[in-house]
Amino acid sequence: MKLNLPVKSLLLALALTVSAAVCWELFLRSKGLKPNFDDGPELWANSRAMVYQPSNKATVFIGSSRIKYDLDIPTWESATKTQAVQLAMVGSSPRALLTNLANDPEFKGRLVVDITEVLFFSQSPRLAISPMAGINYYTKRTPAQAASFAVDKYLEANLVMLNQDFYSLNGLLTHLYVPNRMGVYAGLDFPVGFGETAYSRQTAMSAAFLADTNRINKVRGIWGFVAKMDPTPPVTGKALDVILASVKQDVDKIKARGGDVVFLRTPSSGPFFMGESMGYPRAKYWDRLIVTTGCKGVFFKDYPALANLVCPEFSHLKPSDAVVYTNGMIAALKQQTDWKL
Amino acid sequence: MVFNSYTFVVFFAVMLLLHNLPLSWKVKKINLLLASYIFYAAWNPPFILLLWLSTVVDFFVGRALYTQQNKVKRHALLVVSLIGNLGMLCFFKYGTFFLENFVALCNVLGFDYHPAQPSIILPAGISFYTFTTLCYTIDMYKRESKPVKSMLDFSLFVTFFPHLVAGPIVRPPQLVPQFETERKATKQQLLDGLLLLTLGIFMKVALADNMLAATADAVFGAHAPLGSLDAWAGVLAFSGQIFFDFAGYSTAAIGVALCLGFVLPQNFAYPYAAIGFSDFWRRWHITLSSWLRDYLYIPLGGNRKGHFRTYINLMITMLIGGLWHGANWTFVVWGGLHGLFLWIEKAMQDSRRKATNLSSDDAVVATASVIPGVKIKENFLKALLTFFLVCITWVFFRSATFGGAWVLLNAMFAPRPGTAPLLTSIAIVKVAVVITLMLVCHWTMRKTTVLKTAGKLPWWGVALAWSFMLVMIFLSQESSKSFIYFQF
Repeated sequence: MKLNLPVKSLLLALALTVSAAVCWELFLRSKGLKPNFDDGPELWANSRAMVYQPSNKATVFIGSSRIKYDLDIPTWESATKTQAVQLAMVGSSPRALLTNLANDPEFKGRLVVDITEVLFFSQSPRLAISPMAGINYYTKRTPAQAASFAVDKYLEANLVMLNQDFYSLNGLLTHLYVPNRMGVYAGLDFPVGFGETAYSRQTAMSAAFLADTNRINKVRGIWGFVAKMDPTPPVTGKALDVILASVKQDVDKIKARGGDVVFLRTPSSGPFFMGESMGYPRAKYWDRLIVTTGCKGVFFKDYPALANLVCPEFSHLKPSDAVVYTNGMIAALKQQTDWKL
Repeated sequence: MVFNSYTFVVFFAVMLLLHNLPLSWKVKKINLLLASYIFYAAWNPPFILLLWLSTVVDFFVGRALYTQQNKVKRHALLVVSLIGNLGMLCFFKYGTFFLENFVALCNVLGFDYHPAQPSIILPAGISFYTFTTLCYTIDMYKRESKPVKSMLDFSLFVTFFPHLVAGPIVRPPQLVPQFETERKATKQQLLDGLLLLTLGIFMKVALADNMLAATADAVFGAHAPLGSLDAWAGVLAFSGQIFFDFAGYSTAAIGVALCLGFVLPQNFAYPYAAIGFSDFWRRWHITLSSWLRDYLYIPLGGNRKGHFRTYINLMITMLIGGLWHGANWTFVVWGGLHGLFLWIEKAMQDSRRKATNLSSDDAVVATASVIPGVKIKENFLKALLTFFLVCITWVFFRSATFGGAWVLLNAMFAPRPGTAPLLTSIAIVKVAVVITLMLVCHWTMRKTTVLKTAGKLPWWGVALAWSFMLVMIFLSQESSKSFIYFQF
């Protein structure tokens, strides 16, 4: 026989749940943590929907992680009075994003493509996984998913505990650091505070991260691991010609509709920049890209205000330098293009 | 719209409020119907036209089938309904599959035929609502129940949002009478419903998506040869994922309906505690297996036409049941394996019956229901064997190709030395803990239900368990992921 559930069971359950949530949130905040957004397909699709504004109202940015750190969106928007639509994706090649925008007949705006040579000129299908996931989500997004995001964005903007990478059940279990069997690839484990993402998709290192040499060194170690993990030599010869031809084709489609494309080389420093310069000499990659596509390009080393910016972990700028870089980039774009910024 | 989304939280709160306002029953039913259309349109609004078409055609055809006396006309009407329902299902779900197989056949026969690849989007839940409307028209044809009097009630029967996209597959007598008189959840129903809704979302979000999905995806998507431990962990993870995902949806659906005062049929009864495959199908996706029994197996002749035909009918039913799950030969093989295991079990039961001279019913009861104390250990081992065999069938269910299934089976039973390990220790621990607890839970609760168990616990015990599930749900942060069975 079934016995009845008392209401007090529900009331106590709710009280315990709310108490647990409040305690957890207060605990995380007491550690100096701040709310930030999960940089997944939902957030990307939200930005992707913004690309259709007139070119004098918005500029779209695609690339890998560097432009997400180096473009300070409040600085851009205050200096240019136009919106910056950030579509770059961490750890990926932006070529799939370029093709997606090129094949969208409604996109007729300004596009800035950030080049991290090792990613942009790679043929690895792995580097297209996250862009394709974002594009697929955007194209198949249901009204229900869009409505859920509208609720989710307010919660993510206000609750630290909704950081999926670190404070979800899986995030917590992953960071127990249970030793693995020899040879298991457990993924790249970036320390907390290395990448905090805003609603605009701008990513920044936290003050606590920048003050912690251990965490900075851990990220430097991850770059070293990544460099060793993929021993594929840089693409050359016909394969490079095919990549450049495909990029030119995409650029031409956008220009034919009245849009414009500019390439950007954001700063890297230390051994990272040295390795990139050796593996991807400027003359063979960057200069060929600019010549082949007929687009303008802004290479950070060409501008004294940008040339000596230092990346704490060799690959991305800290927030204060992102402001410097963004102002310098705007000046360079004004000088190089007829964009009214 | 999925139950595990913020949109649904808002939608459901509004529905509860509207359903409890002092409005007439007709207005409340219209609210429910409109809400069900919104629920469905939240995926892909144009597909609502299919739902309307199916509803309107079957309402009028069903009524005509019941009243029509002319046999030829009745047959013609049934054919219209079958073509309408199955035609839509075949086009959207099996169109690409049929074309691919036709092209392959042409190529085998030496014809160089390469048609354009169709781009057909599968409407959510089409397999479920097609079976719901089909059983209505077949019942009308057989005059097993009376036609639904009002279009509003029939539309609500087909479209009622808790069961619309992934079941439980309801029969007209189970739901239509509930629309005839005013329904409002009692305080007890509301509490029971909220508990079931929480449990269902916990199973889906915290267990299926959070603890098991990544491991199953990694193993079934692996490109390199796998070791035995990784292969088994992946298959066990999927066995848990598919259960928690689908049973989670059904539990949540039953809970949602109960909160509104409606009772939906049970769809799962601790299937991994099944002793044998016939017992498994009495516990897994109960509304589908009973649908297939009543509308396919029995009309084929069931067990009334001798041993040989019984075996053939059983296999046909399982093969079609397999194909219902997806347009791929791997699903057919999955159904075929279940059919094969049912054959073996039936053959063993028949020979045992001969030996002990028991009647058929006695044999079933002896093997599946009544467990004398001394037989507990033996039955537990049989249940474990059943679970082991079910896991093997899941390999075909989850693999996209036979090649993939074969590679995984090889890794499970004849692993190659020197394969690189894939899964992290924490992933293996998660699978081990969740699957062990799942099996213990299924075994200990195989003769009871969640609500009965909850009713026997101290009130604070229920509160602790309820709170644990809620905390796990918000800690999981896996909202809005689609349910696996939506694609079926």
